[in-house]
Amino acid sequence: MHSEKPKHDFEPKIIAFVCTWCTYAGADLAGTSRMQYPANVRVLKFPCTGRIDPVFILKAFQQGADGVLVSGCHPGDCHYIAGNFHARRRFAAFRKLLEFVGVDLERLQFSWVSAAEGGKWVEVVTDLTEKVRNMGPMTEFKELALEEQWSGAINTEELKEAFNQI
Amino acid sequence: MTQTIDTSIYAAVTEAIQSEAQRILAAGEVTAVVGYAAARRKGSAQPIVITAAADAQKLIFTPACVNNLAVYLTKAKKEIPKSGRIGIVVKGCDLKALVGLMGESQLKREQLYLIGVPCAGVLASTIQPDTGLTADSIAPKCRECDARLPQGCDFVPAGQPVTPELEKKYASEIARLEALTPQERWAYWKEQFSKCIKCYACRQVCPFCFCEQCLCDRNKPQMVDTTPRPAGNTAWHIVRAMHLAGRCAGCAECERVCPMDIPLNLLNRKMAKELKELYAYEAGFQVNDNGPLNSYTEKDDQSFIK
Amino acid sequence: MSRIGVFVCHCGENISRTVDVERVAAQVAKMPGVAFATDYKYMCSDPGQTLLKKTIQDQKLSHVVVAACSPRMHEKTFRKAVEAAGLNPYLCEMANIREHCSWVHEDKQEATAKAIEIVGMLVERVKKNRVLPTITVPVTKRSLVIGGGIAGIQAALDIADAGHHVVLVERDPSIGGHMAQLSETFPTLDCSQCIMTPKMVDVANHPNITLYSYSEIEQVDGYIGNFQVTIRRKARSVDEDKCTGCGVCMEKCPVKKIPNKFDCNLGMRPAIYVPFPQAVPNTPVIDRDNCIKFKTGKCGLCQKVCGPGAVDYEQEDRLVVEPVGAIVVATGFDLYTIDEKPKGSMIKGYGEFGHGKIPDVIDGMTFERLASASGPTGGKILRPSDGKEPKQIVFIQCIGSRAREKGISYCSKVCCMYTAKHTMLYHHKVHDGQAYVFFMDARTPGKAYDEFWRRSIEEEEAVYIRGMVSRLYQKGDKIVVMGSDIAVGVQVEIEADMVVLATAVQPRSGADTLAQKLGISYDKYNFYSEAHAKLRPVECATAGIYLAGACQGPKDIPDTVSQASAAAAKVMTLFAKDKLEREPIVARVKEAGCVGCFACKKVCAYGAVEEKEIRDRQGNLIKVVAYVNPGVCGGCGTCQATCPSKSVELDGYTDEQIVAMIEAL
Repeated sequence: MHSEKPKHDFEPKIIAFVCTWCTYAGADLAGTSRMQYPANVRVLKFPCTGRIDPVFILKAFQQGADGVLVSGCHPGDCHYIAGNFHARRRFAAFRKLLEFVGVDLERLQFSWVSAAEGGKWVEVVTDLTEKVRNMGPMTEFKELALEEQWSGAINTEELKEAFNQI
Repeated sequence: MTQTIDTSIYAAVTEAIQSEAQRILAAGEVTAVVGYAAARRKGSAQPIVITAAADAQKLIFTPACVNNLAVYLTKAKKEIPKSGRIGIVVKGCDLKALVGLMGESQLKREQLYLIGVPCAGVLASTIQPDTGLTADSIAPKCRECDARLPQGCDFVPAGQPVTPELEKKYASEIARLEALTPQERWAYWKEQFSKCIKCYACRQVCPFCFCEQCLCDRNKPQMVDTTPRPAGNTAWHIVRAMHLAGRCAGCAECERVCPMDIPLNLLNRKMAKELKELYAYEAGFQVNDNGPLNSYTEKDDQSFIK
Repeated sequence: MSRIGVFVCHCGENISRTVDVERVAAQVAKMPGVAFATDYKYMCSDPGQTLLKKTIQDQKLSHVVVAACSPRMHEKTFRKAVEAAGLNPYLCEMANIREHCSWVHEDKQEATAKAIEIVGMLVERVKKNRVLPTITVPVTKRSLVIGGGIAGIQAALDIADAGHHVVLVERDPSIGGHMAQLSETFPTLDCSQCIMTPKMVDVANHPNITLYSYSEIEQVDGYIGNFQVTIRRKARSVDEDKCTGCGVCMEKCPVKKIPNKFDCNLGMRPAIYVPFPQAVPNTPVIDRDNCIKFKTGKCGLCQKVCGPGAVDYEQEDRLVVEPVGAIVVATGFDLYTIDEKPKGSMIKGYGEFGHGKIPDVIDGMTFERLASASGPTGGKILRPSDGKEPKQIVFIQCIGSRAREKGISYCSKVCCMYTAKHTMLYHHKVHDGQAYVFFMDARTPGKAYDEFWRRSIEEEEAVYIRGMVSRLYQKGDKIVVMGSDIAVGVQVEIEADMVVLATAVQPRSGADTLAQKLGISYDKYNFYSEAHAKLRPVECATAGIYLAGACQGPKDIPDTVSQASAAAAKVMTLFAKDKLEREPIVARVKEAGCVGCFACKKVCAYGAVEEKEIRDRQGNLIKVVAYVNPGVCGGCGTCQATCPSKSVELDGYTDEQIVAMIEAL
């Protein structure tokens, strides 16, 4: 896939959840300005960061994302008055929870990128891609998905004893 | 020699609860009283709903009265308006749940007659019910209780609970986990969550899990894998902790009923701790129109945002 | 089963240079649900759109993905084309493979792989798209205008002249606002009353205007096109229908010495009064705080002398409800109070300037009343303290304005011009007097404005001193003004007979309370916020509410009138249609799952969430659930992310659509 640019052993998958009015437009501006950035990011457009449910982040990691970016309008610029203020609190709490269960927060980036900040979009995406590339794949959730809890086989002494007592 | 905790006031508290329940039922102030009664095993207690004044003498309060009775009001809340005002026996921790439920339009204060209990503590879930209350047998949540005398009730029996200063087990366990590396924490929780059998007892007993259709039961789209396997278990517990953040006041019922002994209350306490640090918010002390996660200020912390 | 059509655009070479579009189309064609995939040079061109429409019909496509530029660019174009081909426009999605792919990556293989993934995500998303009908809301073609100053009057007259009914609400007993108080107006020096009072009379006589003076907004319900406004008509104690405005009551009233607010407390009025002779309506009001009848129960003289029997001591506040489709807010301004620090306000006072303590230190509006021919001195400039003519007068600009340390950082915009006007009026009336002006900068943009300001210096002999005043004190019957002239670098000391302070323009008191009733946003000074500072300067973020005049920010009369007419034009645009159409990206509640915790209501910035009772056939209450009013919903989706059971869903951005995209990765 990367035959022409075999620079890296590992190319991370980055998912970006962005609002349509600021960050999506900022990413558009990066395009119209022909700025260059790594091709690892996949953008999901939302009307507002207020719509972004923490479950989506969880889902993204479960689906194999190595890094997640959530980005919207700067405080006070929200097209919907206050969606980004609600998002700010929601994610301040959620990242603490993820940290507590052992997710490395280096993989989860939040940013404000306005429609005028094509350069900042490039910087945020490039930094996150490089950081996550150096960290290696996010294995935690993938391993969980591969694990079966219990096969159903009564194959240990402890289980046999317990089974016989029933 | 373990330190004994003085529960001598519970006898007087029991009498006071009985006479108050008798009075309000007889006077027709309430149609029912939710409280505790003795159960079959020696020293054990179980929830009871009484509707006749004569039954008031069944009510007790002992260190075995562990349940948070608030759950009976949310899960059956549709019946309450029809049946009229209801009396309920509440410990300080249970009252916090009721206060939260009022803020979320699930209960109305005027529908309730609150009989508050001065509480020195109850037994841990792993202890035989006829054990005396000691620094060893007391429930972990009681070790860091800040509401021994419930505030704002309609009736509180006289009595000043005396509880010695005890080591805060949740706080120290949270601190221990926080000091680990992310990888170590992940390993810890992976082991804990792998025990989960998805019996949903934690959801069933939680006063705040009052949704009629849980997000985690949905299949269009499937937000959380419903089978009791590690991926789905982990997602379930993360989503649950997030949904309770800013609402849960730490009654620890989820942890008590968990048949697999997963330390669920740690997650809730951790979130409560963070929200207190971030937004100076503590759940359960007053009826709030807005919790910390459905309000904001323009000056909220955003040090984590680029 | 979906029959999705995917159209991959070359965009000339903009996409095809770095993305192998044929390969994208070939790969996408293999994806489940895709019935047809092709690439084309310019999808947005006429032949491109024709290809799209023809293929939808030939291939019986159920959904469409156009892989081209940003949806911000052409989503509307393609949705329109899809609609023309008979599909619901919301069954079409765009995959952005230009701005987000071909333009930002050089490696063709990498970019092609990314483009395939992007299209794949949108293919999965579009499968979950639902038919969304356009939402239509009926429009009540009546308008409410709040505030009867020049802004409100202009807006009301324009809307009424267009043939729509207007309800004009004014807090004071008469309309006219601040403009009625002014003596003459810059830059032409025509008398304010001469140009204002005819407009006031037009309002009174207009068949399409209902005027509620001495009334306030009590409550606002509803949404664009369908507001229900409750208005409190304060008890006037005089029946407006019976009163002929003869004025006998005012003549006979034994209480005569009440300071008249309209004259900045320089003139006196009786307890039953009209604020000024040209008041509209010309119906007196009883000031119940000062009336002997209301204070002691005795007197009752006005009732006895009133021929038509209009005086009614028993009158009470009345509430009227008016249905309207649009609201123009034109509540205007107050002048900064100078000496006192308003309670709980971040704004500090200017106690050091002696306003309120030294009687001959006055504000600009008081000077207007002194200069007005119909004012308390009949147009003579006289000192309030002893009635003498001031021979030396000092004007100090930027009192409050542009003083961050005092709490206001903005420029009040009108003071430079009105101070120049004051120096002229003074010079016209006191020929041997001398006017001095302390100023920071002279800000005079506007047609014929700078010429006007220069005239005050060059022809009317005002002395302008660049610098601020440091101290001001009474010495005998003089006021000593000490300041610095920074242009020359010397200290200046002037013994003045009178000092006029050009105080900052602030929003009307109670502006925040009204904003909360209307559900519109306001800044830290309480000025109302427009939807967009440049492109939507007269609309509020709340649909159907428009702004006119100084309530939005300091403005002079020409700007105020322009904005008022603009707001009126916006109202007329709204009223040009019988029904409102809006994009159907709105939240909907799934009542079966809703448990009525109203977290959605708490986070909704638009106030779109209402409480709805669900009852069984016998009328017994089953439960209370949330209801989202589609006319009010802004479409942000914050409610859905907040709802624990996801019982509210934002159309167009459902969990199914988003999860489908995440799972496609």
